[in-house]
Amino acid sequence: MVRRPSLRWRVAAALGLGSVLVTSLLALATWNLASDYMLRQRLQATTRQAQVNLRLVEEAVRTNSDGLTELLTGLTTNPDSTIMLFRADEVLTSGRQVDPAVVPDDLLAMARDGTPARQRLRADGIPVIAVAQSLADGRGVYVELFQLVQLDRTFRFLSGLLIAGTVLSGLIGVGLGSWASRRALRPLTELTAAASRIAGGDLKARLPDQADPDLGPLANTFNSTADALEQRVLRDARFAGDVSHELRSPLTTMVNAAAVLRRRQAELPGTAGKALSLLTSEVDRFARMVVDLMEISRADQDADREDFEPLDVGALVRGAASLRLDPDVEIVVEPPPPLVLGDRRRLDRVIGNLIENAEQHAGGAVRLAVLHHRGNVRLEVDDAGPGVPSDMRTQVFERFTRGTRAGSRGTDTGSGLGLALVAEHVRRHHGRVWIEDRPGGGARFIVELPEAAA
Amino acid sequence: MDFSVLLVDDDERIRQALGLALADEGFAVDEAVSGEDALSRLDTDTFDVVLLDLMLPGVDGLQVCRTLRAQGDLPIIIVTARTDTPDVIAGLEAGADDYVTKPLVASELAARIRALLRRRGGPRQNISYRVEDLEIWPDEGVVHRSGQEIRLTRTEFRLLAELAIAGGRIVTREQLLQRVWGYDYYGDTRLLDVHIRRLRTKVEHNPEDPVFVLTVRGSGYKIGPPR
Repeated sequence: MVRRPSLRWRVAAALGLGSVLVTSLLALATWNLASDYMLRQRLQATTRQAQVNLRLVEEAVRTNSDGLTELLTGLTTNPDSTIMLFRADEVLTSGRQVDPAVVPDDLLAMARDGTPARQRLRADGIPVIAVAQSLADGRGVYVELFQLVQLDRTFRFLSGLLIAGTVLSGLIGVGLGSWASRRALRPLTELTAAASRIAGGDLKARLPDQADPDLGPLANTFNSTADALEQRVLRDARFAGDVSHELRSPLTTMVNAAAVLRRRQAELPGTAGKALSLLTSEVDRFARMVVDLMEISRADQDADREDFEPLDVGALVRGAASLRLDPDVEIVVEPPPPLVLGDRRRLDRVIGNLIENAEQHAGGAVRLAVLHHRGNVRLEVDDAGPGVPSDMRTQVFERFTRGTRAGSRGTDTGSGLGLALVAEHVRRHHGRVWIEDRPGGGARFIVELPEAAA
Repeated sequence: MDFSVLLVDDDERIRQALGLALADEGFAVDEAVSGEDALSRLDTDTFDVVLLDLMLPGVDGLQVCRTLRAQGDLPIIIVTARTDTPDVIAGLEAGADDYVTKPLVASELAARIRALLRRRGGPRQNISYRVEDLEIWPDEGVVHRSGQEIRLTRTEFRLLAELAIAGGRIVTREQLLQRVWGYDYYGDTRLLDVHIRRLRTKVEHNPEDPVFVLTVRGSGYKIGPPR
């Protein structure tokens, strides 16, 4: 399907075309009336003038006066006009010199037959009107050429004016159409903006109230939909918050009771002791799982709300390594300090979870590297474990995917959310996380975050 | 190391479990079930630290916190189930020294309490630091401005003292969190932000335009140049 021009341009084009049509009609009518009228006026004037002159010439011819040439000269007061007297054997001319041949024979013939005739023609490049009439005695034809330069100039000016007016009105029509349609479509533009703000997570986006009866219902419907959506999201968030709170209290009791019990584990030998140990470790794992779940559900809710600060990933990695890793683990930080804009706690969580993951599934991290890579800060966490099969490499970042990896410890103490949280936090920082093979065996977890200007 | 702790929480099971676990950690634990209860206990007995739940029936935790702060500089740690920023900030603004979120383990809480009550090590030296009209005696725990003593909480004072001892060098946020709150790792920078703000309202002539506690963008804080 051919792509149609936008509504705005269609309206503008229609309005432009319409106004061109109307104004050109008006211009045409004006042109016809005005040019007709002016030409007629001029013709009447010239005819009258020619008649007067003709009578004088007739008088002179009748009296056979010798002063005919002088008379003709005297009659041509205007240097641009020409008088010609066609007689049987000669052509007398006076005024501007024009070849008598320019006077059409038809005109002369008509005049000779006794019909006064006139015709517009060009004589030596000048528009003229020729008035021809036979003398009363029939022995000659009197022809006078009146120049129409002035009239021609007026016509040219008038036609120029009318054409310019038509073009201008067309342009104004297009402009007006474009402006008016933009005005008319502005609520739609606002609607689009508000809708995309809501889609982007700003639930408070609303349309302004519309006084216009055509637009009011649209704005109202949109706003009430947005209200309902906001209410729903808030309700969900409140529910998650309530659940979080409700679970945290019993968990606090459980983990502390478990801590007290663990201290006295020696007092409970045999089966009871074993059961106690199971219970306390599962309570800890359960607590971790709930906390991680809270964190993930919170991450789902509030999009990019907090301010990011510039962070040195190298320092974060060194800090994490100094606490959680053996000193012989290789740490590489490429200078200059790799800075990203981020949330310290979350990035720390990303590093910590990757280290923990390597511990649980691959016997611990063997190398941590922070590198600069094509405008990104690249964090690599290497382990020397069995690696991650390629069909599992996206799956492991999903929630509660665990235990299926080769080399997993039977006594898995993870929450099943560690790598999902990594993926969630990395996504929040507009970064990427994936798994590659480590050269020499094992897995390499790679996180890339957009580098911040130093 | 027998610190006395007042544990204020309306959940009886939490009080019992946390009380047992804290006792295991070597603390003498007393319990209060409500804000009113806590305030009346504090009128009669003295404690080294108060562990305060924010969600209490009647007088809520924030109110208790403000009341205690108005009375003195008794260390307060907020124990809350709410981890959202506004709740944490509100607690710190009300005057708390630190906060922990549920579910918390007693050992973790014990570390926080010990860090809060820790005294500066090393031999006492009666050195004072001067910045314009502000005079700080780190070992005495005393601050004077224009000869008048300014009352700071223990945490606020330690924050100021760390900056003063650094003598105009930058102290990073991590260093402050580590030295003042004992976070061996990355603590919550909101904690630091609120305390710096509170410190400024007390020591600065114009907190909007600080001359003593200066921010070094992107790295940390430093004390203003000495006179």
